[in-house]
Amino acid sequence: MATSDTLLRLRYRFFPDRMFGELLTKSWIDNVIPALALVVAVLIMVALIPGYLSAGNLADLARQVSEMGLIALALTIVILSGGIDLSVGSMFALCVLTALVCMNVLGLPIAVSLVATLGTGLVCGLLNGVLVGYLRLRAFITTLVTLVIFRALYDIIFPRLASAIVGNMAISPTWDLIGYGDFYGVPVSFFIFAVIAVALHIGLSRLRPGWRLRAVGGARRSAYNAGINVKLTVCLAYVTSGLLTAVAAFLFSARLGSTGADTGIGLEITVLTAVVLGGVSLGGGRGSAGNAIIGTILVLILSNSLIRLSMPGSVNQLILGLVLIAAVLFDRKWVKNRGKILSKIYVSPTFLRLPERDRKAEPAALAINDRLGDTELIGLGTVEGPEDVILDRNDNLYTGTRHGTIVRFFAPDYNRSEVFARIGGHPLGLSFAQNGDLLTCVGGMGVYRVTPDGTVAKVTDETNRSLLSIIDDSRLRLPDDLDIAPDGRVFFSEATIRYDMSEWAVDALEGRGNGRLICFDPKTQTTRTVLRGLIFPNGITICRDGQSLLFAETWACRISRYWFDGPNKGKREVFLDNLPGYPDNLNRGSNGTYWIALLGMRTKTFDLAMRKPSFRRRMAKRIASDEWLFPNINRGCVLHVSETGDILGSYWDEDGENHPSITSTCEHKGWLYLGGVSNNRIGRVRIKDADPDWTALDDYWGKDR
Amino acid sequence: MSGFGAALGRFFSRGDAGISVPAMDGVFRPNNRLETAERLLSLDHVDNLAAFGGGLVASAGDTLHQIKIQGSEAVGTELETFDAPVTFVAAADDGQLAIGLLGSGIRIGSPGKWTSLDLPREQSSCMTAATFLPDGKLAICIGSRVNSFRDWKRDLMELGHTGQVIVLDPAGGPAKVIADGLAYPNGIVVLDNGRLAVSESWRHRILSVPLDGSGGTQILLDDLPAYPSRLTTAPDGGIWLALFAPRRQLFELVLREDDYRREMIATIDPEEWIGPELSVSRGQVQPLQQGSVRQMGILKPWAPSRSYGLVVRCDGDMRPLESWHSRADGTMHGMTSVCETDAGVFAASQGSGTLLRLPATANGKGQAK
Repeated sequence: MATSDTLLRLRYRFFPDRMFGELLTKSWIDNVIPALALVVAVLIMVALIPGYLSAGNLADLARQVSEMGLIALALTIVILSGGIDLSVGSMFALCVLTALVCMNVLGLPIAVSLVATLGTGLVCGLLNGVLVGYLRLRAFITTLVTLVIFRALYDIIFPRLASAIVGNMAISPTWDLIGYGDFYGVPVSFFIFAVIAVALHIGLSRLRPGWRLRAVGGARRSAYNAGINVKLTVCLAYVTSGLLTAVAAFLFSARLGSTGADTGIGLEITVLTAVVLGGVSLGGGRGSAGNAIIGTILVLILSNSLIRLSMPGSVNQLILGLVLIAAVLFDRKWVKNRGKILSKIYVSPTFLRLPERDRKAEPAALAINDRLGDTELIGLGTVEGPEDVILDRNDNLYTGTRHGTIVRFFAPDYNRSEVFARIGGHPLGLSFAQNGDLLTCVGGMGVYRVTPDGTVAKVTDETNRSLLSIIDDSRLRLPDDLDIAPDGRVFFSEATIRYDMSEWAVDALEGRGNGRLICFDPKTQTTRTVLRGLIFPNGITICRDGQSLLFAETWACRISRYWFDGPNKGKREVFLDNLPGYPDNLNRGSNGTYWIALLGMRTKTFDLAMRKPSFRRRMAKRIASDEWLFPNINRGCVLHVSETGDILGSYWDEDGENHPSITSTCEHKGWLYLGGVSNNRIGRVRIKDADPDWTALDDYWGKDR
Repeated sequence: MSGFGAALGRFFSRGDAGISVPAMDGVFRPNNRLETAERLLSLDHVDNLAAFGGGLVASAGDTLHQIKIQGSEAVGTELETFDAPVTFVAAADDGQLAIGLLGSGIRIGSPGKWTSLDLPREQSSCMTAATFLPDGKLAICIGSRVNSFRDWKRDLMELGHTGQVIVLDPAGGPAKVIADGLAYPNGIVVLDNGRLAVSESWRHRILSVPLDGSGGTQILLDDLPAYPSRLTTAPDGGIWLALFAPRRQLFELVLREDDYRREMIATIDPEEWIGPELSVSRGQVQPLQQGSVRQMGILKPWAPSRSYGLVVRCDGDMRPLESWHSRADGTMHGMTSVCETDAGVFAASQGSGTLLRLPATANGKGQAK
């Protein structure tokens, strides 16, 4: 038994199951498969075709990439906006015609020719944009029709000018440089392409227009509701597409110097294949410039190698078509199932053995009683989710609610209440600073400060990112409880870095040290992680020596003491171990004692499950979350412990009617106040033997201020 | 074939098809009618009801109670207390009673005038239900030949399938086994066609068992959303089915997880096991499922509780017509038997120790609404 346990512990310690789920949450995971496909394709080509990596071959590929890549970028932008542009091929042909006519036939300066070419692209794109964006025609039909119209225009104009184009030569060194020139073997056109691609990448991923474009493509209605000008955005996507196509046409014209009747025919399918193969989702809103480029290179490698293998053109098209269908199919399945796979594999339990408790040898102090049976209720039905409760010097009571507010109940009877501050997230732990500011840990947001007049300000919402963590752990995800050291430093716990506020309890299934202890120093305005790998660190309270603190690790059922200052600085020792339940907030009590709120009690079946990670993993995978086995958090209690960790007494609600789960306590002038994160009431009960004048504020900051 | 497919699916641990529990839907759509039913009498551990002398007899622990119904009042008197728990009560049309005593066989006759019929220990320790046959013989369900009547939960967790249906002649002679290898047969009635309907708890189904071996065993009703308990006939030819505890995905998972289950059986008290219960458990040591966490002072009625109250009225062919529920937020749980007489339909909620009278059914013929 012991050996197998050790093996199990080591296996879960060193085999990083949780990585797979965390990798899937990354947004770049969409690009991994196309990128891998590209690497494989290149390797195959290198193996099959001798001299594939020769400079000439690469330069040739680079020229093709720059032209087709620009069109792929054009199409990507349109697809990101939730549409499609089938007219890129004909538009490309028209622009090529314009460029050649300007350069060869009319002999205009290159700048003027460029403007004319861009103008052609702009007009074509604008036509699409107005029809699709403003007149709300279907993108597919509209661009199919403009494809035919542009092509018809080309077919009408081209035969009349064909001989003139072929018969004349443009005389412009810049034109030739764009067409044939290179720097250190890299074609000039590729530089142009690279600059545009980088600019687009930044625009799409980092700047406002790109974000709006994705928003429109991802969820048109939501984008509209968020105040985005949807029509304009869609229209501009088509215009951009036209301009990019025109640039590609310009490069193409410079390279070939002539055009044929079949220029641009079938281009839309090739480019569409490239874009989809690269990972841009046809549904809109998902994709990047990188996707378009990867796809372009893939398709070019594919078609070039087919030509080298002397396949006829029609077979080439056939294979591209099949690849397109496969890519679309894969994209659809991926988008649909990614979330499903993620939800199945994200929960990653680990081995956790809690020492057994001998029920027969339970101390009398822990016996079930009904001391909380007749608490005075405060705010019944009006307050939802009072995780922590705290009182000020005027005896007013403060608590956070799940509506994202801090509510103040007025002394002496606490019948009257007001919204003291609106935070926006669920305030959890509360603490008064020396100057009277109320500091709070807000689930999903960070640590916030509320001044006595109700003004809210952020204290911190990030800490240093750890080097080897896959998920970005610099943002605070679930700060839970905080306390303030005598010098003003704020120590707070982040319960877990893997789950959000709404699913905090799922962390119980994992039993891993996902949480941490963090310190904010107001002197330097910096936030630094102090301890990592804690098992759902929850309550925190600064000890009276001013040099150490107690913190609770909920799922580990233990409370530890950590010295952050003084001669023992950095030392950590267990204060109370093997508790009968799951500790939540810790608070100081009168006569040098501490209060521990237990949010739930241990059950043997759950303890057993914690020793069987594979059982919990299968449970998470195979049954609905409402059916998951859980710690018994329908029954909590309050423990009263001495400075040295001896349990002095316990307070229970025998029926579990008013206080099924207790997440916090606050002693104030002989009363004990109780909060519960999933409760809709606050309770208060008189404590025997308590100092009737004791308040936490005096204990922390002294009587006078 | 489906068995093979399930085995294959289990081998590859594929999908969750194996761990689905039938939804309470259609005829089983939840309501609150057991919770609001008339609570006639409080009787701890009330278990098996039978019609007797114009009223009822009810077993409760090791005592047999007589219950007289006078209008909206029910008066219970102790008939007799035995030296072992009464595990079933059956009544014949001529007023004769048969009762099962845990570990000491069967008594037939009437209170005070019993004849003993002995059974081997392995058969007498878990008799769960019985009915008189038209020829005066007694058909008895033996839930398990390994575990005792009290240890039903252990039998479930050990995937017990050692149950039997036997026929015994009160005049004497050896018992005849007419069905074997059942997973906790827990209720029995005679059907119109002369066959027996037997509820098989751990396989959540009702079987049709021939008395003479002709035609083999057939499935009458399958995929029940809860564990069936006793069956009784209604005067109009229908059949009443009591279901004593709900099925939950977690229980089904634990039943598949051999390693976890074995250790749970070996190291934890049965009261703290994951698994069905007869009564609402609010203890601090009992397991909890996520959906059962109290939110804002309320336990949701749909919570995956370990106990539930469910009574179903079926037609003569065991097709469900109508159901009565007490949900997770109620207390009328652990329904173990129903008995319909001229004075109404009575149901025993063992979990709460209450005798209930159900409100009138939808109509006499009984088509579900």
